[in-house]
Amino acid sequence: MANRFEAWVRQYRPGAEMDHGYGVTRLRVKASSPAPAYLAQLELLHQPLADLDPSARRRAVEAALERANVRDLPRFPDGRHIISDLLSFYFHSSDANDLCYRAAIRRDSCRELEGSDNPPPPLNGAA
Amino acid sequence: MPRYESDVCIIGGGISAAMLAQKLSELRPGIAITVVEAGRSLFDLEKRMDYRRRSLDYGENPWPGDFIEDQSAKGIISRTMAVGGSALHWGGTCNRFSEEDLRLKSMFGLATDWPIEWKQLEKYYCEAERRLGVSGEPSPLPEDRASQPYPMAAMTLTHNLIELKKWAEKSGIPFWSTPQAKNTVAYDGRAKCIRCNTCAICPTGARYSPDFTFKRLLAQKKITLHDQTLIRKLVLHDTKSIVVAARGVNRARQDEPVEYRAPMFVVASGYAWTPHLLLLSRNSRFPDGLANKSGLVGKYMCGHSFRSAFIEIDAKIYPGMNEQHGLISRQYFRSKPDQPFVRHDLRIWESAAGHEPRVRSLDGKILLGDELLADWRNRAQRGTARVRGYVDTHPDRESSLTLDETARNRWGDPLPKIEHRLDPATLARQDRVREHMQGIFESLAKANNGKILSTSLGNYLDHPAGGCRMGDEPSSSVCDSYGQTHDHENLFVVGSPTLPTAGCTNGTLTFVALTLRSADRIARVRGARS
Repeated sequence: MANRFEAWVRQYRPGAEMDHGYGVTRLRVKASSPAPAYLAQLELLHQPLADLDPSARRRAVEAALERANVRDLPRFPDGRHIISDLLSFYFHSSDANDLCYRAAIRRDSCRELEGSDNPPPPLNGAA
Repeated sequence: MPRYESDVCIIGGGISAAMLAQKLSELRPGIAITVVEAGRSLFDLEKRMDYRRRSLDYGENPWPGDFIEDQSAKGIISRTMAVGGSALHWGGTCNRFSEEDLRLKSMFGLATDWPIEWKQLEKYYCEAERRLGVSGEPSPLPEDRASQPYPMAAMTLTHNLIELKKWAEKSGIPFWSTPQAKNTVAYDGRAKCIRCNTCAICPTGARYSPDFTFKRLLAQKKITLHDQTLIRKLVLHDTKSIVVAARGVNRARQDEPVEYRAPMFVVASGYAWTPHLLLLSRNSRFPDGLANKSGLVGKYMCGHSFRSAFIEIDAKIYPGMNEQHGLISRQYFRSKPDQPFVRHDLRIWESAAGHEPRVRSLDGKILLGDELLADWRNRAQRGTARVRGYVDTHPDRESSLTLDETARNRWGDPLPKIEHRLDPATLARQDRVREHMQGIFESLAKANNGKILSTSLGNYLDHPAGGCRMGDEPSSSVCDSYGQTHDHENLFVVGSPTLPTAGCTNGTLTFVALTLRSADRIARVRGARS
């Protein structure tokens, strides 16, 4: 997942047109890349996350989210903090949706109509 | 200045223009048709899977470049300006209106009657469904009987919709598959739907969009298409009340002025840009704009209000199976004459509302990793239905599109400003409608241990139309039922602007049906002249 997020950051296009679909008339473009902010945030997390104590690492993560005033997960990573953006990247994915429902819904894939009247098959190895 | 001549000049390149050009080319083979569109041609089906991916991953515009930056309007609800128009990214919903929409005055004493009989319109609905490729199941209500079957079987109801239908029908309201311009089999050279769940950018062409029609007409050399060309003014004959030219600028050639001449002009530019062009074309003989002796160009702008609810229910729903397909009930298309007037459709879609992943619990505790997943799973055990009713609302005369002298495009033209206003009768029944809709949401919720999570009233009128309403009387309408303007015999307007009222369900199929009817008249007039 970290690799996929890294690829997402690398392929981010600052200034790209954003969707202005039906009911949204304001033209907007994507903000500048979050990468520089991520690097600074990672630098600050480097030392605390090196701690071997899991509860200390957790406290560091929580403190970082509190400092960034993260209240919810953005629909798309928005640069507020790399931790919440990574959470958003994963938990808004089709894979996470499948994991939540323990079913191979494959929300973001193109799939045949046939069989869609049945529940999606169970997710192999679902926790 | 380049000057182009044709037999018919169509201004606008959306779904109405596509249908009109296609049908005219069939009815009058060899006729010279020029389509002039302000936006670009986005004929790049091969790139749409990539656009879709970027849209899903980054929220990027899945139709890059489908707008003109400073060609905007206050009150408009879509910025799309490209060959194909708003129907590039529409959801493909193809509901018919009902006879009541055409007889509001005579049946209920409200708004106005349309100058067309239901049987006439119904014939063109069938043609529209065939041309667009609509998949659907017939309504079981006898009032909705169609004279021809849909060209394709309805989209398979997903497990989610089967569950939602079972739930909703416990309340006694029947629901069925919403008809859509989406292929359930390969149709008209386009692929079968593979449920990509992103109909706003259909990467396969299974959902109809007008670019396919234009591409085919161009390949067959049946039309000439001038995109990136903004028509700024229609020019009248020196002495007669006929249009002789359309003048504009070619944006692809550094705004080079350009002129189109034709014995017949059709403005097919949608509900905003059609009345806008007529108003912009004012001159000394028509100081209020062309086709506007009635003073009604840009008046009676219409649409329907909508009320929505998210209802949590006891059902196993898997969000993401096919979010773009839904259920419809036409139970409330009729309003009994002896009962208070309320008309609306009723729609249901799968939803994940209220069950999205979250990073904080209700008490503010931060959730990470397995905790977050467990919290999400716990809340996702019940299903959610998105429910909406499009409510029949009627425009006041002063529901208007006007020229906004304070906002101009780069060529100096004042841009449109749309201000919707409801007529007094509509305003007077607002509370009753709210109570009625709330009652329906509560009945649905009760049907299966449901809980209303939220309700809302839309803050704009959806599926907008009007601005050049049709009618028999020149004093109270802009054009006749074929879109032929009362003031200029060789000037037609087609599609959404001609609607006197906007019904209580999606309008596109009706816009197309009316346009196809206009095409018959235009072909006859053209034939008689030539």
